[in-house]
Amino acid sequence: MYELKTLLPQFDIKLPTCMYALKNVSLAADALATPASTSSSSTCRWEESSSSRSHKTNGSGKAAATCALDLDTLGRQIQQLLKNDTATVAARQEKVLQQLEELKAQLGQIRAGLGVCGKTYQHTTAFQNGGLKEIPLQDVVINGHPNFIPYALLALKNAWRDLYTIDVKTFTHSTMADIGPAAREFEANLAKVPVNPALPKINVTLIWKNCEHTEMISSPTMYVPIYGEVNIIRYLGRVGPAEYRYEGSALCNEIDLVLDICYQLLRCNTHKTQVAMVRLLDKRLQQQQYFGGSQMSVADIGVYSSLIRMPAITDKDLTPALLAWRKRAKLVAQI
Amino acid sequence: MVEDKENVANGEQVSKKGAKKQAKAAKKAEQKAENASAAAANNAGGDSAEDHAAGRYGLSEMIQSKDKRSERNFVPVHELSGQVGKADLVWVRGRVHTSRAKGKQCFLILRQQSSTVQCILAVGDVISKQMVKFAGNIPKESIIDIQAKPVAVSSKIESCTEQSLELCVEQIFVISQAKAQLPLQIEDASRPENADDVDGLNIRVNQDTRLDNRVLDLRTPANQAIFRLEAGVCRLFRDILTDQGFTEIHTPKIISAASEGGANVFTVSYFKDSAYLAQSPQLYKQMAIAADFDKVYTVGAVFRAEDSNTHRHLTEFVGLDLEMAFKYHYHEVLHTIGNTFTAIFKGLRDKYAREIESVGQQYKVDAFKFLEPPLILQFAEGVAMLREAGVETGDEEDLSTPNEKLLGRLVKAKYDTDFYILDKFPLAIRPFYTMPDPNNPVYSNSYDMFMRGEEILSGAQRIHDPEYLMERAKHHGIDTSKIAAYIESFRYGCPPHAGGGIGMERVVMLYLGLDNIRKTSMFPRDPKRLTP
Repeated sequence: MYELKTLLPQFDIKLPTCMYALKNVSLAADALATPASTSSSSTCRWEESSSSRSHKTNGSGKAAATCALDLDTLGRQIQQLLKNDTATVAARQEKVLQQLEELKAQLGQIRAGLGVCGKTYQHTTAFQNGGLKEIPLQDVVINGHPNFIPYALLALKNAWRDLYTIDVKTFTHSTMADIGPAAREFEANLAKVPVNPALPKINVTLIWKNCEHTEMISSPTMYVPIYGEVNIIRYLGRVGPAEYRYEGSALCNEIDLVLDICYQLLRCNTHKTQVAMVRLLDKRLQQQQYFGGSQMSVADIGVYSSLIRMPAITDKDLTPALLAWRKRAKLVAQI
Repeated sequence: MVEDKENVANGEQVSKKGAKKQAKAAKKAEQKAENASAAAANNAGGDSAEDHAAGRYGLSEMIQSKDKRSERNFVPVHELSGQVGKADLVWVRGRVHTSRAKGKQCFLILRQQSSTVQCILAVGDVISKQMVKFAGNIPKESIIDIQAKPVAVSSKIESCTEQSLELCVEQIFVISQAKAQLPLQIEDASRPENADDVDGLNIRVNQDTRLDNRVLDLRTPANQAIFRLEAGVCRLFRDILTDQGFTEIHTPKIISAASEGGANVFTVSYFKDSAYLAQSPQLYKQMAIAADFDKVYTVGAVFRAEDSNTHRHLTEFVGLDLEMAFKYHYHEVLHTIGNTFTAIFKGLRDKYAREIESVGQQYKVDAFKFLEPPLILQFAEGVAMLREAGVETGDEEDLSTPNEKLLGRLVKAKYDTDFYILDKFPLAIRPFYTMPDPNNPVYSNSYDMFMRGEEILSGAQRIHDPEYLMERAKHHGIDTSKIAAYIESFRYGCPPHAGGGIGMERVVMLYLGLDNIRKTSMFPRDPKRLTP
């Protein structure tokens, strides 16, 4: 390669003396090895880490001097980095993770001390959720037609009885003169599930309305409705208890696929197409305990709820495997 | 000087014009008289024999209850369809909505309240030329009696409410004649308000003209429907509460001291003294509770001397107030009031669909939507929703009118309801007699109800303990000697109670989605209007 001129002049950086020197948390592994280098500016981190072994004694001074873009040094650093066995890097990562764990434990203690234990659960789940910032859950509104009862709500409520509370309040919209006996029974069953105030919860307002789709609205300012019961299950699966969060699991695609089949099944008009969908479901289930493995998941909730909504599908249409599955699922969903 | 001259000149011109006009009018009158005499001459000349319809039409003498004429079978216009195909002739009394004489035919639209029907007179065996002419000249809005035969028509008559039939008139009598010149045309007053329709006729009658000639204005189908619906609101309110064991009471409207606060009261002279017009029956409702009536309501006039000229303020309106004793929690009352509203809305939806539709034909608005049971939100939740929408509002701050409207829109967007209840208002913004929340000193046991984002009811659990009431009054800096009578009424034991009141006109306005409260008050009173 051509040799390039240094872009920046070499500044003599003088560090202010009025501040305390802080331990560099992320590099504590090296910091322990070379206490002197920790005081140097952070821009030189790479240089330090790589050269920490060779320049143990004059690390600090040299680092400041070679801070600017000097290709020679850079090259040397890369060389050294490559020479360094990956074991040290792995050890450092290990250390960082351990420290994070400690920090978490510390914060947990602080939180416990402040008496906001109720939220701890949500925060820990947020951590599993990819560390997204957790804000209090929006109350959600679900609009449903009494002819298309979202049984999944009741199934989830029952399945999550000891994990998570779905607090459902039901209303009848003025466009519905009468909601019919099935919906009334559904309301009564919803009300029967005991509410445990200690569990994290989501407030759901279920409105019987003369609408085409089952739809969910969370925020009125950003009106982004979620259509279809299956997608509501997906949403609840994301905010619900960790046991039912499937995005991180290996079965993610499988579960999504099963839910998609449910969506199709609900849209089928003829018995023939419905049976075809049931056959597809059977194919996915095979000889497993539940859809996508040995654990109950939102996929099972979706299939279970969809089958209730389809009275045309009788036991005759279901395979022995599906029938056995339905028995197992019924124990959890309790509908 | 120049200006003066000009003015004089103008004045002269005007007077000249006036003179010309007068001359013209005189000429017209002369001609008319001439024509009339000619016509009379004609009639005398040979028509008298020809007018075979004489006696079948004319101006009826003033009805002074001389004859009973019980043989005449009167049929309401909306029931005419049942008479089609029958041999009998029917009598109909109604107003001339429009009449059009054209040669040997005369089309006349007869109106009876909100229903209209087309009538036809054609020269023939029964009807003479003179009769057709007479029918064509009856001034609009005159009341007439006709005897006619209902006949089915092949093509729908679009301009009438009875679209499938018309009346073939055989006799026609004018019972009460209207002035030939009307201050406003019913057709203009009932024209649909449709901003999008650029091509349509854009003749409107402005609000003041309507109110000045309210008798005519009230004849439009929309107004007929509005006031029938308003009567429905009152009736439903009474029926629903009576069913729940409420007792109707009547409270005095002339009172000695201001009932709420002290400002905004009308003073009337009372013999040698002066008295006030009641701004709210609240004190009397509470006294009825203390007197063991348990659940009471009252329907009556309420006066507010507020000089606010807005679309939703009147100086006199009809208040529907209720007060109720409860056992342990004021939510017993809150739910009773909320359910009363839902029942009223359902009653209107189910029994007054025709009225709602006919108002909708003139004023395009969305149907009123509500939830059952009514949606109850906490004040704090409302504030949170507003904040999410980017509005800065304090925890203990009252909702400003724009915020109130915005919150209404947010609630509508999320829950799709035009009616909701906001519970637990901050104590600081409520009157002194409001019971504070036992769990959080910032809030109080008070609630507001909203329709289409506007407040219609404001109520609370009232303090029923005289000592505590004194304490709260002092805290608010109120002179306790002035409200001694109020506090005194709780000294002999009083059950815990809560209540609230609504303005009937405002509820009807918001239910129908109208833009002005004057549309729902038959003879509105506001700071600028005392007549009619």
